[in-house]
Amino acid sequence: MFSYAWLILFLPLLGFIGLSWFGDKIPKKQAGYAGCGTVGLSFLVTLSVLSDLLALEPEKRLGHVETLYQWVSSGSFKLDLAILVDPLSVFMFLIVTGVGFLIHVYSLEYMKDDPEYSRFFAYLNLFIFSMLLLVAAADFFFLIVGWAFVGLASYLLIGFWKEKTSAVLAARKAFVMNVIGDVGMVIAALMIYQTFGSISYMEVFSAAPGQFRPNDDTMVMITLLLLVGAFAKSAQIPLHTWLPDAMEGPTPVSALIHAATMVTAGVYLIARCHVLYELAPYTMYFIAGIGAITAVFAGSMGMVQYDIKRVIAYSTMSQLGYMFLAVGIGVFSFGMFHLMTHAFFKALLFLSAGSVIHGLNGEQDIRKMGGLRFSMPVTHITFLVGAVCLAGVPLTSGFFSKEAIIMSSWHSEMGNFVFWGLAVLTAGMTGFYIFRVYFYTFFGQSRSPEVHPHESPIIMAAPLMILAFFALVMGFAAHWVDQFLGPVFGVAVHHYEDAMLETLAVCAGLGGILVAGIVYMTSTDRLEFAKQALAPVYDLLFNKYYVDEIYDFLIVKPVRAIGAFFEQKVEKEGIDLVVDEVGSQVHEVSRGISFWQSGNIRTYALNMVVGMVTILLFVVFF
Amino acid sequence: MLSLIVFIPLVASLVLLFVDKDNRPLIRMVSLGAAGLSFLLSIGLLLVFDKTNPGMQFECAISWVPLLNIQYHVGVDGISLLLLVLTTFLSGIAILYSMKQEKGFRNFLALMLALEAGTLGVFVALDTILFYAFWELMLVPTYFLIGLWGEGRRVYATTKFVLFTLVGSLLMLVAIVGVTVVHFKATGTLTFDIQTLVHTHIDSASQTWMFLCFFLAFAIKVPVFPFHSWLPHTYVACPIPTLIILTGAMSKTGAYGFLRFCLPMFPEAVAEMGLVIGAAAATGIVYGAWIAVAQKDLKALVAYSSISHLGFITLGIFALNNVGVEGSVLQMVNHGIIAAALFIIVGILEEKTGSRNLNDIRGLGKSMPVLYGMFMLVTLAALGLPGLNGFVGEFLILMGVWTSHLLSDLSTIFVLMAGLAIVFASIYMLYMFQGSMQETTLKDPKDLKDIDRTEFGLLLPACVLIVFIGLFPKPFIDRVSLSVDTLLTVEKTVNVHAGEDKDHH
Repeated sequence: MFSYAWLILFLPLLGFIGLSWFGDKIPKKQAGYAGCGTVGLSFLVTLSVLSDLLALEPEKRLGHVETLYQWVSSGSFKLDLAILVDPLSVFMFLIVTGVGFLIHVYSLEYMKDDPEYSRFFAYLNLFIFSMLLLVAAADFFFLIVGWAFVGLASYLLIGFWKEKTSAVLAARKAFVMNVIGDVGMVIAALMIYQTFGSISYMEVFSAAPGQFRPNDDTMVMITLLLLVGAFAKSAQIPLHTWLPDAMEGPTPVSALIHAATMVTAGVYLIARCHVLYELAPYTMYFIAGIGAITAVFAGSMGMVQYDIKRVIAYSTMSQLGYMFLAVGIGVFSFGMFHLMTHAFFKALLFLSAGSVIHGLNGEQDIRKMGGLRFSMPVTHITFLVGAVCLAGVPLTSGFFSKEAIIMSSWHSEMGNFVFWGLAVLTAGMTGFYIFRVYFYTFFGQSRSPEVHPHESPIIMAAPLMILAFFALVMGFAAHWVDQFLGPVFGVAVHHYEDAMLETLAVCAGLGGILVAGIVYMTSTDRLEFAKQALAPVYDLLFNKYYVDEIYDFLIVKPVRAIGAFFEQKVEKEGIDLVVDEVGSQVHEVSRGISFWQSGNIRTYALNMVVGMVTILLFVVFF
Repeated sequence: MLSLIVFIPLVASLVLLFVDKDNRPLIRMVSLGAAGLSFLLSIGLLLVFDKTNPGMQFECAISWVPLLNIQYHVGVDGISLLLLVLTTFLSGIAILYSMKQEKGFRNFLALMLALEAGTLGVFVALDTILFYAFWELMLVPTYFLIGLWGEGRRVYATTKFVLFTLVGSLLMLVAIVGVTVVHFKATGTLTFDIQTLVHTHIDSASQTWMFLCFFLAFAIKVPVFPFHSWLPHTYVACPIPTLIILTGAMSKTGAYGFLRFCLPMFPEAVAEMGLVIGAAAATGIVYGAWIAVAQKDLKALVAYSSISHLGFITLGIFALNNVGVEGSVLQMVNHGIIAAALFIIVGILEEKTGSRNLNDIRGLGKSMPVLYGMFMLVTLAALGLPGLNGFVGEFLILMGVWTSHLLSDLSTIFVLMAGLAIVFASIYMLYMFQGSMQETTLKDPKDLKDIDRTEFGLLLPACVLIVFIGLFPKPFIDRVSLSVDTLLTVEKTVNVHAGEDKDHH
């Protein structure tokens, strides 16, 4: 009954194909409208699917598999091209097409001076299609296909300005890191196939609980391998270094792919495979631990960066850490809820930052900004909304979703005070770094007087205002999200009430804001003093804990050296030499026959023909 | 019909020798016509092929040397059919590409057609001696094509190639005779018929040496690590049109040999040595990829990447189960398409910029948007992007390896090695693509024109197939699965000790 849900995927795919073939033959404007239109329609179809789904009894909303055709049948391995329509996938459809549409519209204006306007929209459509495939796939194979395709779209869009060397390098880094994740997932799929004889979700998830006891080695292995993909895509330690570099892409891309949708794929994956993860509590602890550490780790780096987009990128990493913490301690629907609120307020922050960059003709360094609250009033307000949501100021969406996670990190079955402590520490850092940017950018005096900032036109401002609205109010949808996703995760999550912990967490966020205010709103002496006093820590953070340098030393350089060794020593001086040596020995033996060594190609040819004919004659007249 | 497909190019090749060598239009017509006709006929064959029949189809047997009961016996099953079509397809493209050839136009095309005929013959021969004759027929044109039209150290390269291959094929000839002798001892009938010989039970000691002889011949042709050292020299020296057939079709004759001879004839030897061969193949996968990462010469880069990809094919075959072997057959087709497209692109780049070294070319995408798009698609297929054809084959192969009984002791390690190579593939392919097409140009882009209609036409079929096989591999797999079943379940009904044919058994 949901076969028309395929339309949701086909529309952006059509947009991609159409725009890549005809994009440069139609006027710019129409190319842009076409790009937005497909995603907008896709969103409308999603709404229709949603209403059809809601019309069903909650327990009947699960497991609608819509098959297109049989993809392959090889030996005992059979696979259909199919999508799975259930509350979780529809929930993701809504975010991807909804936020995606707003960002498409925003891009109409943001990219309008780019000579490759239609190619940009083609790639954006490709991304939307790939992301939808990822969340709609009904088996691990097409999950991997979608997974790799979003990686491709991300690669294409990070390297969109392909003549910029830094963009090209960042794109390659992102791609290669993600291929590492893909390989992990492929091996996981192989293990799943070997274990269950199938790689489709329905069969695997229904077989797993009966077949394995918790913490069975196989389950732990499979879940860990899937995690390699999740960590790579969602920029968790140790596969996180590509995300800050990904900011080389145009800002709408950062908002759509590197904040709202693609990077949350890892969280989606764990939520989707919750049946497997629940059978592997060890892996769950591991996820929660990595999530909490990444949250602090990224938050701390975000406190000292000067590139406005990089700060928000680190913030994304940090918030993803929260989501991993949530799914790691088993409160899947809280993780998904934070995924949703984060999609709104982080897209909002990125687009507002984009508006600032647009208004300042491409400037991204916050040290060169300042005083923008007068010249860009709309952007100022929307950025502020995003910032308060991110910092978790009470009654904003971020407050509800983050509170739920922080509370569970103490009170839930798998929670403990370490997770809670790291989560609260992160909350403090979050308040600090985002308001540091806010104060730098919108307060004080303009630091580059020669630039005359201007407010962005309505076509950019409208998506900002819509996102701001949702970012503010979506917190109140918490209950609805729980109920909607409840059937997928089996049990409804418990909302813990603990006034003291709640107050502490809120205070951490507000405290961060306060410190940022004190440091950046008052005299600059204090800033200098703090920098001096904390110089070693500051350097460590500013250089991103030297992780790039460590990887270069431990991985990149050895790989190069071994490659050179293979080529020079093994290949040229090893195998090749042995072969040539054997060859020359043969020559030695046949030295008497001088024409063998004449070096004349005709002679060689003659030898060949004579030899061939001899052999053939020999064969025929044996 | 099958014989027509093989002999049209061969006859055309002979006809060309009587054409005036300056009469380019006629030469063009004859060669394109022959290659085109052969291709169309093979497509026709594909359409009428019955995929529910596990045996040989379109068979034709004529006595050739009655004294020894050597027959001209040809026929195809699903595996040879796919490779046959691949060969006619790639040869058509290669011949089309050769139209630019200046020096020795006529002889070049005559040899190319002879090469095509030899390769096609290998895939259809059902008699071991006929197989051997075609096998050698491939070699002669290659020798001249590289030796006379090649570049760089062409004589060194071609001599090395020929010597390597000759060593292998002579060993194979010995084993061919050996198998027939065993059969003769068991039954008293002399035959070189492959379908009869596969049912012969050979004692394990003989199996070992015969298997090794065959294996060596095929392993050199593929090539399997560590018998690959002719490949980089040969590929770099080889003219592009020849290279298309060489890498796309001829390298598959080795893998095809594994399937047609090694697996059904010598099951015990395969069981004994499969793990070692798997290890060699897996080593080749990583080794080739690792060296490719360090290459600046694009032709050498694709050459080393081929070693890696061909390693996948060998590994899948020796997984010895349906999924792995079917994945390998599909991957043969995929590699043929992708490698051919990559070499065409390298040829185009070299022709347009005068260099194929990554140090000299950069930022070409700006002035060549169409090539940029096609190059990107081929790059993605080559690095095994899920959703495109390369990944389908790799995934099935890895699935086969993972579930293989034969390789089970080391299958995890093999899969991890393959995984490492996949990561490397993304690195070297992106070096290749980004290095040549992106960033800012070194030269004035006004000198550069985008690819013309012919070049577009050369690349388009490959691009279409890359997407199509990725989206819908079922028709391809369906055509080979029964044939693979047959290969993997050959019964040994002719027993040397019993000394009688136990067909009724």
